[in-house]
Amino acid sequence: MKKTVFFILLFFAGGITAYAQSLQVTGVVRDSAGPVTGATIAEKSMHPSMAATDNNGRFRLKIKSNTDTIVVTVVGYERQEIALNGRGHIEVLVQRAYNPLNDVMVVGFGQTKRITNTGAVASIKADEIRRIPTSSVQNTLAGRLPGFFAQQRSGQPGKDASDYFIRGVSSLNSDGNKPLIIVDDIEYTYEQLAQINVNEIESISILKDASTTAIYGIKGANGVLIVTTRRGKLGRPQFNFREESGWQAPVRTPKFLNSYRTALLVNEAYKNDGLTPQFTQADLDAFKNGTDPYGHPDVNWYDAIMKPYSLQWNSNLDVSGGTNSVKYFVSGGVFSQNGTVRDFSTNNDGVNTNYFYRRYDIRSNLDIQATQNFSIRLDVTARFGDINQPYNENVVSELYDFTKYHPYSAPFLNPNGSYAYAYDTQDQLPTINARIATGGYSRQRRTDYNTLLGFTEKMDFITKGLSLQGRVAYAGVEQNTLNLARPYDFPPSYHFDPTDSTYTLNTGTSSGGYTLPGYRTIGNTDIKDQRVNMQLYLNYAREFGQHHITSLLLWNQENYTDYKNAAAPQKFRGLSYKIGYDYNQKYLLDFNVGYNGSDRFDADHRYGLFPAIGLGWNLKKEKFMEDILSAFSLFKLRASYGVVGSDVAPGDQYLYQQVYVQGANYSFGQTPQAQGVIYEGALGNPNVTWEKKRSLDIGLDMNLLNNKISVTADYFHDYRYDQLVTRNDIPEILGIGVSPTNVARTVNRGFDGQITYQDKAGMVNYSIGVVWSYAKNKILYEAEAAPRYPWLAATGHSIGQTFGYKFIGFYSADDVADASVAKPTTAIPIQAGDLKYKDLNGDGVIDENDREAIGKPNLPNTTFGVPLKISYKGLDVSILFQGAFGYSLALTGTAIEPFQAQFQPIMETRWTPETAATAEFPRLTSNPTTVNSPAVYMSDFWLVNAYYIRLKTVELGYQIPRKLLPFKINNGRLYLSSYNLVTWSNVSRKYQQDPEVQSNSAGDAYLNQRVINLGLQIGF
Amino acid sequence: MLLSRNHTKKLSLQLFVVVAIAMVFASCAKDYEKIPLGQQMSIDLIFDKNDSAGQYAIEFLTNTYNDALFNGHNRLSGDYMDAASDDAISSYTGLSNVEKIATGAYSATAVNADDIWTRSYTAIRSATIFIVNIDRVPLLEKLSDGRPARAAYKAEARFLRAWTYFELVRRYGGVPITGDSVYQLTNNITLPRQSFETCINYIVNELDAAADSLRGEEQVNSANYGRITKGAAMALKAKVLLYAASPLFNGGNIEDGNALTGYTNYDKNRWKLAADAAQAVMNLGTYSLMHNYTDVFTTQAEPIGNNTETIFWRQNGNNTSVETTNGPVGYTSAGGSGRTSPTQNLVDAFPTTDGLQITDANSGYNEDDPYANRDARLKATIFYNGYSWLNRYVQTYDGGLDKPGGTIQQTKTGYYMRKFMGSFENVQGSPVYSNTIHDWIFLRYAEVMLDYAEAANEYSGPGDDVYNVLYALRNRAGITLGDNNAYGLKQGMSQDEMRDAIRNERRIEMAFEEQRYWDVKRWKIAEQVYADPLQGMDIQQTGNGQLYFNKISVLTPHFTAPKMYLYPIPYSEVVKNANMKQNPGWE
Repeated sequence: MKKTVFFILLFFAGGITAYAQSLQVTGVVRDSAGPVTGATIAEKSMHPSMAATDNNGRFRLKIKSNTDTIVVTVVGYERQEIALNGRGHIEVLVQRAYNPLNDVMVVGFGQTKRITNTGAVASIKADEIRRIPTSSVQNTLAGRLPGFFAQQRSGQPGKDASDYFIRGVSSLNSDGNKPLIIVDDIEYTYEQLAQINVNEIESISILKDASTTAIYGIKGANGVLIVTTRRGKLGRPQFNFREESGWQAPVRTPKFLNSYRTALLVNEAYKNDGLTPQFTQADLDAFKNGTDPYGHPDVNWYDAIMKPYSLQWNSNLDVSGGTNSVKYFVSGGVFSQNGTVRDFSTNNDGVNTNYFYRRYDIRSNLDIQATQNFSIRLDVTARFGDINQPYNENVVSELYDFTKYHPYSAPFLNPNGSYAYAYDTQDQLPTINARIATGGYSRQRRTDYNTLLGFTEKMDFITKGLSLQGRVAYAGVEQNTLNLARPYDFPPSYHFDPTDSTYTLNTGTSSGGYTLPGYRTIGNTDIKDQRVNMQLYLNYAREFGQHHITSLLLWNQENYTDYKNAAAPQKFRGLSYKIGYDYNQKYLLDFNVGYNGSDRFDADHRYGLFPAIGLGWNLKKEKFMEDILSAFSLFKLRASYGVVGSDVAPGDQYLYQQVYVQGANYSFGQTPQAQGVIYEGALGNPNVTWEKKRSLDIGLDMNLLNNKISVTADYFHDYRYDQLVTRNDIPEILGIGVSPTNVARTVNRGFDGQITYQDKAGMVNYSIGVVWSYAKNKILYEAEAAPRYPWLAATGHSIGQTFGYKFIGFYSADDVADASVAKPTTAIPIQAGDLKYKDLNGDGVIDENDREAIGKPNLPNTTFGVPLKISYKGLDVSILFQGAFGYSLALTGTAIEPFQAQFQPIMETRWTPETAATAEFPRLTSNPTTVNSPAVYMSDFWLVNAYYIRLKTVELGYQIPRKLLPFKINNGRLYLSSYNLVTWSNVSRKYQQDPEVQSNSAGDAYLNQRVINLGLQIGF
Repeated sequence: MLLSRNHTKKLSLQLFVVVAIAMVFASCAKDYEKIPLGQQMSIDLIFDKNDSAGQYAIEFLTNTYNDALFNGHNRLSGDYMDAASDDAISSYTGLSNVEKIATGAYSATAVNADDIWTRSYTAIRSATIFIVNIDRVPLLEKLSDGRPARAAYKAEARFLRAWTYFELVRRYGGVPITGDSVYQLTNNITLPRQSFETCINYIVNELDAAADSLRGEEQVNSANYGRITKGAAMALKAKVLLYAASPLFNGGNIEDGNALTGYTNYDKNRWKLAADAAQAVMNLGTYSLMHNYTDVFTTQAEPIGNNTETIFWRQNGNNTSVETTNGPVGYTSAGGSGRTSPTQNLVDAFPTTDGLQITDANSGYNEDDPYANRDARLKATIFYNGYSWLNRYVQTYDGGLDKPGGTIQQTKTGYYMRKFMGSFENVQGSPVYSNTIHDWIFLRYAEVMLDYAEAANEYSGPGDDVYNVLYALRNRAGITLGDNNAYGLKQGMSQDEMRDAIRNERRIEMAFEEQRYWDVKRWKIAEQVYADPLQGMDIQQTGNGQLYFNKISVLTPHFTAPKMYLYPIPYSEVVKNANMKQNPGWE
């Protein structure tokens, strides 16, 4: 009604001025998405004439004054002044005004704004992470999104994607904690996500609470990571080209002892074990003086095999633009990352056995406005990733492994250039350089195809604000491995005896004979699967005065088929509904409900209803709070509560079904012949159903001091129940295993948030922030059999709690003699200098009953990030410190145990009678099963209560002034970026590995890499 | 408001588009399969009412064999069970599982490697499923004597179930009996243990019930060679009754009045039951001793081969695993990991060729040439220094090819186990082992004879029938008849003397056959047997080839009486089941 009056007034005003001057301007107002309705166009004068744009963005303005400038204003857009210069027709492109309260965050099947959001969502624009020199998008998010926990387990090219969790973990089901990944509303896997080129991404959000994840229903319980890709915008074609080169080097280089120092320790260990020392004084002298490089070699194998640095490249080209009928974003990228192994190839055969990763991405996102109300969207993308590694060799692992070679095992090459072998080891393997040079490669190619065909039909003709959308998406993955290898694995190798200058061929089990046979290829298909997803949804968004309503009704179906294993298709189907309402952006309500199911469960237990409600109260908008909150532009309290589910079940695809397994394992008959057998599999659980999570989130959003400070904080309390675990409280006299049952319960609590302060001082713009996440879970019930002693129970601790012995010093000689001092029952009698553990049950024997919860789980319970940004004219710096606290890490075997691991400096701090007071390492022994072995006796001596702080990313950028740019280039930027530049961690005091490596492993993962990267970006 | 004609047309077009798209989507949407794809095997298909061949049902039974019968060769993490007795130790360089058993390093929470609780109930369940379902299957197969094969298959399952209960009872005492129930999760499975007596009665009744339906030896043909026969059921019954009559359970119950750990009284008549059951097997006339002792372990049984001695075994097929796992370590071309180190204690138990113990002054035993003129079973059981094997002499002196020193696995006693291996004494050239039958024999006729001798001696004293058993075994072993026609045995022994003679005969006749470990327990002599360190032989060779023999201690066993006479029930079973009572001393 108001509008009508306005138009009438306008009409009259226009009519009057027309008489005065009868000048007229016509035009169109557009934004990047298309025509803008309701823009106001006015003369720049005291008593301007005005006009508004119609549904097609057109306007007609009578000019009555003698000004030549008009002003275009639209709510939510930047004001624009335009000089007519006598033109009678103009086209105006308006830019959305930046108001942090209107920051859009992508949520499930839609968007939300900071001011009206009621759920727990964290979001990031991809430009902030686009130039970080790592191949996997999940590596860039640590420390940037509150609630996001990531651990990068390996640095191997192509396999370095982090494991990540949203708000920690809460399921005892080992696969049950992986967040749902949604890219353009289609489900992706972890591996598919790692393949995405960050250049194609527009924004990333994580959904953390029930209100935002309920729409995903049975798949929402682990949180959701949402990625949207870039789309074309109205305007002429804009080309963007980015070229980067980077240097990578390990975050940490392990240091191993040389031959002399190793030999000393070996002798000492043998002496401790009552064995004859292996080396004579003459041997030791030869090692020390290096007088006999072939008889007494001293090779630093790490340096001999590994390069100090390796290179990576990244090139991206994209073009985007659009007309009224077609908008496009087309991009292509090449990412290439080399491995850290030196090149040992001798005969130039072109066989690259090194680690490397090459990825080629192409994407085309098209939006076609077919008719006024009907638009089509077609997204096509393909990603090809090649991962190369030496065939049958784990080079990094082997460099740590003392059983495979010693620093004195062999020279790098024999004097005549032939390959040597580890003469003094059991395996007698040819040296690793020999095997890398001749062993061939294993090359894995992964191809991901995705297409998405969608349509939108505006149905304003039924009721205003209604639209129908549909999508069909296909995702196919095929991964093959091609091995180039020789019929047998080892090249000929010789032992050179310098005393008589003879060469002896290696004839052991690792012998390769006298010749090197040619390569042959072996191929294998690793993955071949397809996922088809169909969605149809009705959208409704309308404003009635101060009442704003949005609603969505979604039908969703998915079918996943693993063709490689010829498994039965996995099916998912559901309906979701959400409605959002707000009154003047003051009182906010969101109601979401998912009703969906998965065919993993029996028909009676297949569909679940997952409702959630979100409420918000914008106090700033209340009259009575105006004075109190005068410094604030936003002060909003919000809360959400609801139930979400998880259909991830361990084990068989259909747990509700009793399975019978066929095999062959027993012989009958005169000629013994394995007979076919059938046996009962784990008892089916007909009642198996999804896991559920009741999730409460209470949050606060604040902006204050002219939006200079922005705060988001959340507290959450998730109760996860009906978890699928295998019950351990069933007597074995049942005689058969049982399928997982919905019995376990955990609680997960924590808080996360983000504070950002941004300001400018003169020409310097800067911002500083802090992002934190804390999540701690507790097992309430997991049907464990009551253990012998209460301290052995996992219930009551966090998921993944380590159990082990409590270290209380080293055994002294007196302890050993004293029968009242508790000792373990081992084959090897306790000696002075062995690790002494606490006898918890006081029975005088150290055994498995003396283990208790030590340290924390491996997944940090606290992570934080501190982003800093400063810009001055064309120069800018952005820095992210990222860290994690509250986790534990212990490594075993080849990482740290003498005679399994290479001797390393910490072993020189071993216990000896002389150093008993200062020792940091137990006495040395060649026996692998003593009380000193963390693999056999895990204890808090080995478990580090770890933390790390990283200078995770640094970017220095320089915007090249336009006038310096040649040709038609309108944008040029030079930048230096880095990844994992500096790491501080207490893990390094004990272990020579990255602090993010998997706990309780041999700690021989491919080392995480530090990358320094130089890039150039140009636009034209 | 009136719609223009044009507008109406547009609207209907749009509606049409929407409906058409919706229909396309809907047509893609087939419903879920009512039955999941993939695994389709069900109990009704296994025990198929329409399958007159009973293919899957018989395959189910075949698996029961696998569940119930283990392969005793290097069974316990690579070692023989006997390496936990005083007959041998493991050569393993670390702490082996059998050493943990020998030294008592186990508890209810850290059960020993021989704890078979879980796998036994798996086998019992599997057998029971077969027993309660097989009658649905319309099997047409007949045995050669016209009896229905279905009854034989069912009886095999009953035998396997009874055998499994016997394996449980000798480890734990009385255990829960599930009978013919196949429990589901919804059932109450907190079953109490049955008394020892109830268990023995149950096993014996099951064996009696099974015996008449089983194949006789003569009904075995080449296709079902290896199946359980009637003789097996009878011989097992004799063994079960012998165990039940033994001191540990009959009069020597480790806890007075505890019906779970044995009989609460002594009844001499139990020895008679055992003797009668063994006599019944002997009366069958089906079995007899083989002429050649070493052939017993590498020859197929009648009617397929000419082995008249084996009664019940697990068929393992032909391989070289016993030789390569346990053979002396110095044979590089043939391989050999020397896993088992027999003790001097066992070696010393073998008499000389005239049947006298080596402690006897008249035996002719020579400490400087200790392996000469010994019972032939020593040579069939143990590799000693100077043994001729694979075309050379075994060298177990310090630094010899088969005891080179250093850190590799090798003998700890100066001996390797020879038993069960093929005859590779004189293989020429670059010798390798060839495939040999390595079935695991649970029951053979020599044991039935010894069972009889022991029971008869206990019941009625050392009569001729008892002597005859020892004569037969000693005769076969090549012991000379001697002047008193008694193969070196004293005539007119007392019952106690005869008991010792039978026990020693049992030890050497059936070394490494999982007898000694159990016999020491059921005779209730473990605290004496394991009181002293086990012995090995350290042999030094001088430059001129002179050998010096020195006995050395190789392992100090540890036996806590009386609790270690029975295994602990796994602790978790006790907490999961309020009715489960722990064995004495393990609470």
